[in-house]
Amino acid sequence: MSKTNFYELTYIIKSVLDEGDIKATVEKVTNFLTENGAKIEDVDEWGNRELAYDIETMHSGYFVNMYFEVTGETMVQLERMLKLEDNVIRFLFLKYDSKMMRHHELAKKGEVPNIFAVEEEEENS
Amino acid sequence: MLKNPAHPQKKQLKDKQCLFSKAGIEYIDYKDVDMLKRFINDQGKILPRRVTGTSARYQRQLSLAVKRARHLGLLPYVSQNLR
Repeated sequence: MSKTNFYELTYIIKSVLDEGDIKATVEKVTNFLTENGAKIEDVDEWGNRELAYDIETMHSGYFVNMYFEVTGETMVQLERMLKLEDNVIRFLFLKYDSKMMRHHELAKKGEVPNIFAVEEEEENS
Repeated sequence: MLKNPAHPQKKQLKDKQCLFSKAGIEYIDYKDVDMLKRFINDQGKILPRRVTGTSARYQRQLSLAVKRARHLGLLPYVSQNLR
């Protein structure tokens, strides 16, 4: 068993598909990860969102954001799978380092400092 | 006087400071789209450091975050102004 890393994955499914197909695609990705021994921390479905620009002539997409811990070998397979998956139009995964982990811990607690806090105070006073 | 915001006058330059270092943020998240929008102009371009006052370290992180958000269709590469 090689070393596992913590990853974040966001992918966009075509929103033109019906609900069943979208669910099946999400399950396919999640099952693939669990079968390969991934510890899934969280799966967050953002749902349909407008895209800032058209991707493959589509104006919106179904966003799924997830966090998990898995080996690097599995990620190579996952990348290949996502590339071949027709229903997925875009994806992005990131390997987390210690700084990103600390940020993630804060985000889970909702304690990320607001960088505009000072500015807003000035506006109110 | 020149009114281009890209060329702030010396007086304005002095009170600029990096919002990220001040708030003590360690990592700029590409998912925080509303925050990133404050650092791009209406054409979708990333604002330069001389305008926002961001420190070099955070400007690098910021540009990476914007580029990640663009890849996922959260931010535009170019946004046309409808006039």
